[in-house]
Amino acid sequence: MRTFATACSGRGVTMNKSIPTEIERFDLSARIQHICLFTTFLLLAFTGWGLKYAYVEPSSAWINIWGGARIAGIIHRIAGIGMLCTFLYHQFYLLNLWRKKDLRLTVVPMPKDVMDLIQNFMYYLGLSREKPKFGKFTYLQKFDYWAVYWGMVIIGTSGLFLAFPVPASYLFPTWSLPWIWDTLFTMHSDESLLAIVFILFIHFYNEHLRSDVFPMNWMWLTGKISVEELKHKHPLEYERLFGKNAGQGKR
Amino acid sequence: MSNQLTIFLLLMFSQALVPAAHAAPDAASCLTCHGAMQGSMEKEKGVIVNLNIDQDRFSKSVHSFLNCVECHMGFTSQPHQAPAARVDAAVQNLANALSAKSKIDAVAQAACAQVQCHGDVYKAYKASVHGQNVIVKKSSDGPVCTSCHGSPHYIQPRTGKDSRVNHFNVVETCGSCHEEKHLTEKYKFSPLVMERYKESFHGRKLKLGHSGAPACSDCHGAHDIRKAADPASPVSGANKLKTCGKCHPGATTKFVAAITHKPLHPVAHYAELGLIILTVGTFLFIIIHVLLDVYADIRDRLFRKGGNHE
Repeated sequence: MRTFATACSGRGVTMNKSIPTEIERFDLSARIQHICLFTTFLLLAFTGWGLKYAYVEPSSAWINIWGGARIAGIIHRIAGIGMLCTFLYHQFYLLNLWRKKDLRLTVVPMPKDVMDLIQNFMYYLGLSREKPKFGKFTYLQKFDYWAVYWGMVIIGTSGLFLAFPVPASYLFPTWSLPWIWDTLFTMHSDESLLAIVFILFIHFYNEHLRSDVFPMNWMWLTGKISVEELKHKHPLEYERLFGKNAGQGKR
Repeated sequence: MSNQLTIFLLLMFSQALVPAAHAAPDAASCLTCHGAMQGSMEKEKGVIVNLNIDQDRFSKSVHSFLNCVECHMGFTSQPHQAPAARVDAAVQNLANALSAKSKIDAVAQAACAQVQCHGDVYKAYKASVHGQNVIVKKSSDGPVCTSCHGSPHYIQPRTGKDSRVNHFNVVETCGSCHEEKHLTEKYKFSPLVMERYKESFHGRKLKLGHSGAPACSDCHGAHDIRKAADPASPVSGANKLKTCGKCHPGATTKFVAAITHKPLHPVAHYAELGLIILTVGTFLFIIIHVLLDVYADIRDRLFRKGGNHE
């Protein structure tokens, strides 16, 4: 979700001789969007988990912590609408960047991402000594970013329909009625599990547990990335900002 | 001779213990024996009668004010032999009708239906699909009072959390028959009715203690329950709009199609399958990815110091 912001072009950094120690990777708006997104995400996950696994104890006790099934349901709906609003806001944020000509398509998947993936697995397996040279966002970060869109479409729309079933039923064609509700339920329930496990593994591992960021990557608060880390993790972005040979003399 | 004397003395003694042998005994005098007796007797083949009454639990039940013989009308003599007393004709007729179903004491079961007791409920039950099956068709399938409410000796108010017909317990109670394979086949119930209810939002919320979540009887009715195909059923045709509308104002025919308790439609089934494959596939990918990353990280730190790491 750190990939939520696509465009922070390192404004203010001039291509002069002195290279700053850190640059802004996520602007304030992006950081606030991230906080809104993960707050609503956690609320949704916590309350929804109890309902998904209602028959697995201690779900009843867990739901009671959230004020009982009725209150937990209200929290879930409010958080869901909050998350959809955050998502909508992000689209306006992108539009605004585009209007200001600040929008770089750094998070759009490219053929290079497939090559990076293959190269990365070769490196993991010891078949190559070269790590892939990532740009501003790695393929995993791009995946993470677009997973949110997938989630919003699949989980968000099904959630809206399930939260307001009577108005939703007016929209459905008659021929869809024998399966539409079960399908919506499955979409909402299974894809939420996918989202939770994805975040738990990929995001927690990369931004919390990994030895170089433990206990967490503070970028979500500061928005800043050290130029050392940028050079190490996103070499192509470093080169774009500071030139291919920048900082060579340092080491 | 001395044996006869002993028997005579014993009889004298029991007469002294129970002075009003021919008056209707009260609960306390029945419980003198049945409160202490343990074990059971086989009334006829396969019909086991538990002879013990737990006095403590009886005294806490809503029926604790009743005397035993007000329901067990056949047992007016004390100490009793087989039930012998003449029983009110209406109760006896009902008892005969129930005898295929209620084998321990059909008279006591029928006694529930007396006008001064649960006469209204009996009327509704008799007209219901359950009552018709038991009373008119004399089937051994279908519930009598105690099938759902449990032992009348320990019966709790419906609001009590131990009541078998409590809002949160009634689904299990209905399920004890509606989940039975031989009954679902014989009566063509939706075979997955319990499973489909339990996995629905209604069932899940009920499990989590949502007092507004509907249990079986909230939509289908209780004592007056009908077949879904019966036009008088609250879940039949236009009635379903009203029934769903109790909680979902504005419910239309399109909306009420949501709940059927029928097995999953193939479209929903394959959609679920597709999503499961997608989910499991993604899990595998990310788990392998993370594990390989951990492995490479450790390898680099241990064996490739100064290599790719700063």
